[in-house]
Amino acid sequence: MVRKLFLILAAAASALAINGAAWADFTVLVPSSSEGDGLRAAADDYSKMKGTKVEIVQAPYANVFEQGANAGATKSGVFDIILMDDPWIPFFAENGHLEDLTPYFKKAGLEGPDTDFLSKSLAICRNPYNTGPYVCLPYVGNAQMFFYDAAKYKEAGVDAPKTWDDVLKASQALTKDGGGRYFGYVFRGGQGNPVVADFMPIFWSYGADMFNADRTKVTIDTPEGAAAMKTFMALRDVSPKGIESYNANEVGTALAAGTAASSINWPNWVATFEDPSQSKMVGKISYSPIPAGTKAGSSEIGHWTMGIMSASKNKQEAFDFMLWATSPEQIKISAERGNPPVRTSVFTDPELTKQEKFRHYPVLMEAIQASTPRPRHPKWPEIENAFGIELSKVVAGTITPEEALKNSQAAVEEITGLK
Amino acid sequence: MLKPGKGIPAASLRLGGALEHWTERHLRYLMLAPTMLILLALTIFPSLYMFYAAVHKISPNPDLPWQFVGPGNFARLLTDAQFHAALRNTAVFTIVSVSVEFVLGLGLALLLDRFIRRLTFLKTVLMIPMMLPPIAVAITWKIIYEPQFGVLNEIMFRLGLPLQAWAGDVNLAMFSIIVADVWQWTPFIFLLMLAGLASLPVEPYEAAALDGASSWRQFWDLTLPFLKPVIAIALLLRVMDALRLFDLVFILTGGGPADRTKVLSLYIYQVAYRFADPGYAAAISLFVLFVTIVLSTWFMKRMRLAD
Repeated sequence: MVRKLFLILAAAASALAINGAAWADFTVLVPSSSEGDGLRAAADDYSKMKGTKVEIVQAPYANVFEQGANAGATKSGVFDIILMDDPWIPFFAENGHLEDLTPYFKKAGLEGPDTDFLSKSLAICRNPYNTGPYVCLPYVGNAQMFFYDAAKYKEAGVDAPKTWDDVLKASQALTKDGGGRYFGYVFRGGQGNPVVADFMPIFWSYGADMFNADRTKVTIDTPEGAAAMKTFMALRDVSPKGIESYNANEVGTALAAGTAASSINWPNWVATFEDPSQSKMVGKISYSPIPAGTKAGSSEIGHWTMGIMSASKNKQEAFDFMLWATSPEQIKISAERGNPPVRTSVFTDPELTKQEKFRHYPVLMEAIQASTPRPRHPKWPEIENAFGIELSKVVAGTITPEEALKNSQAAVEEITGLK
Repeated sequence: MLKPGKGIPAASLRLGGALEHWTERHLRYLMLAPTMLILLALTIFPSLYMFYAAVHKISPNPDLPWQFVGPGNFARLLTDAQFHAALRNTAVFTIVSVSVEFVLGLGLALLLDRFIRRLTFLKTVLMIPMMLPPIAVAITWKIIYEPQFGVLNEIMFRLGLPLQAWAGDVNLAMFSIIVADVWQWTPFIFLLMLAGLASLPVEPYEAAALDGASSWRQFWDLTLPFLKPVIAIALLLRVMDALRLFDLVFILTGGGPADRTKVLSLYIYQVAYRFADPGYAAAISLFVLFVTIVLSTWFMKRMRLAD
């Protein structure tokens, strides 16, 4: 009897799981992180308000890309909306997985997204970058900032770091005095995405770039690239042992625990640094835009954007939801839930800016406006992997900086066919 | 057998009889059919599909047709530096980890079998790592190895020893993964060896003891030959499993630093899902399958398991 009951329950549960998505009016694929949690909460509000059933499917960061790519390649239509990290946009758009939003804006009587969105936030949602049609809408306004312990930097003779030379000066002094337990700088040195993400802002701040303007030539192995690499190596030398395996968690934890004085990081770490239950550094971390090298500093932009899958069977419903979720009111609610905004009105909203937990907003808005997207190429995941291997090798000291630049140049030329 | 009666036409009876006869003759195939269908759907079709994919270039764009490239994907294996690194790392990992697990597992089994037979509690404790999900093991070791806050470096610090980066050190990363794997899978070898030792006949040992054979000679001339089939199975299973290593590397190092821990499974995953190149991923998978079959066949012949 018990066995029978168990079997019936198991069958019913399986049927529910399989058909869950089918019962929904539309389905959204999101990462299992604060960005995905924010959209899940918004979807709940939308369901209650409109009586629409929104199914949210959450997956780890890498799996969101994989599941989205699989759904696109098989035209399964299992997801109607995907919440994408912005470097994925060229892959999804150029392989025909994303819907052009132009006709949906027209139908809604709009020219396109309104001008309250930050211009850089909108530029990444067009494919090609800043010139093509909109294929998504920005939802979470991530861009890297420079985080530092102002008191420690002052002790080391640097009031507010404006350049990488300032950072090096302070970091070298702090690491020297740290006795192997305290470090002036910490970064994500893990192979692949982590090390590339923390190298690119330095790369750009010395005037280097991966491709020339019209994307016809790879330009990694250049004097500008060598200057950036020199600073990167100097920063490695003042960072903790084991940096070769560090990812965002290790970097964030080092700052929150007060064992490192500075790093590049994403704004979602602000909440952790200002939470007494997770941080020893509440109120002590300062935020600034990325320091300058020989050129002005530039953050890597890392927005989370919503796009409609081409194979979706509920495109209009999906668009209506996206328009609602990115409205000024909803972006403000999303900000209060912990996700950085993408609209000027929210960044400058006095109700938010007067709160201590949003004191980084002016810096973040400046960082977004001075940001650079990761090289827009449909093969970016493969490029990032190859570049990340060479950067990992140079951080580990198994090759010289010159070899790293030369090998990266050759690898990216091979992947892109730009020889 | 059905018989003609009121309301049952003769033609229906003939059909019913023929069906009954056919069913009786083909019952064994009918009984096997569900299993065969499941096998076909879950094993044979995907395997054939993998062969088909391996000779095509498959674009992530569904509107572009698959492009036949013949042996092109296999030819790429010859010049792909990342594949070579993954192959080398997989070989090092497999040889070292399985060897260490075998020596430790056999040693522990001999120890427990000979000296502390009654301590079933100890045997159970020794088997715990094997029962844990691989992902939990990987996360536990990630915390242990953490250079700044990990317990291992805390011990090193308290002992006045130099702190190490462990999984983040280019020279220690593979070692760190092997240690975690040995911790988890030595109990598997131990369990099989213990079962093998429990089934050994007593008489040859009594005769050897009467002849004055030392413990070492008894181990070398009796225990090892008797255990040979169990050893062969244990090593074969572990080698096949080690060739598929994924979880530990994915969590602990992601294949780094400097590509020193990238193994074949991780590379196949990256090629298939991160680089959206399933054709090439299928070719690498077939290569791994080929190596596994060749190794297993050679191993079974060598250990004369085929007999």
